[in-house]
Amino acid sequence: MSLQNSTIQRYRLFYPQETLREISARTGIQITRVFRLVNGKPMRLKEFEAFEKAIQIKIAENPNQSRLNKNIEEASSILSHEELGRIADYIERKVNTRKFTRNLLSPIFEEAVIA
Amino acid sequence: MKGLTSLERIIVESLGKHGQPFETIQEQTGLQENVCFNLLQALILKGIISFEKKTYQINPRISPLIIEEKNGQEAKKAESLEVIEAIADMKEDKLYRFQKIALDEKDEKIFKAMLHNLESFLKEANEKSQSSTLLKDKKIIFWGMSDVQKVVKQIVKG
Repeated sequence: MSLQNSTIQRYRLFYPQETLREISARTGIQITRVFRLVNGKPMRLKEFEAFEKAIQIKIAENPNQSRLNKNIEEASSILSHEELGRIADYIERKVNTRKFTRNLLSPIFEEAVIA
Repeated sequence: MKGLTSLERIIVESLGKHGQPFETIQEQTGLQENVCFNLLQALILKGIISFEKKTYQINPRISPLIIEEKNGQEAKKAESLEVIEAIADMKEDKLYRFQKIALDEKDEKIFKAMLHNLESFLKEANEKSQSSTLLKDKKIIFWGMSDVQKVVKQIVKG
């Protein structure tokens, strides 16, 4: 999956119910342009940054996210390979279970790339 | 990831030896329709189950390597921890005791004998009701015991 596809998918995970108009308002990208982007038109760097910024804002709303990032960073330098494997396994299980129990968007923007 | 998630495991267990149609799997597991379907599709993609003649079944051509990966010691440990965590997290309808107990040698022997009896009782109870009980209505029971010092050593070891 390209970086653009992955960004749009992540955006959709954080803002699952948003309409094109709402995406436009949040990112500052014109609505017709948003329509094109979600249908696979290549993204400009500025647009990519607007989507990423919206994602980062959502991430920052959750204090546990920064704790998790900090701990992962520390764990990777302190814990053994085996212990890290167990943590990765634990996270993977949680993520997989959540994927099965909620309807995630399918990757429909296969051809899109960053302009 | 080693093993299956607990939800995938419950689906695999519901298939039995000869496979089951979707409706039976859903009845056995008590899962929502879309969740049940998602899990079945994921298991098909992983090559663990197959779908033929409207029946989902364990893939007869599954490789021994995959079986070992899904049923190995590490996988079982991760799965049981997931289930124990879920029980510990439950707000109601659970029985969960976790205690440090001082046991002298004699009482420890008595306790182990009681556990042995309990195990026999559970085995018989399971054989008696297995065929008439839906998978979702079965109970999850677990126990374990070790010395505090040994546990501490293991935690330090990592």
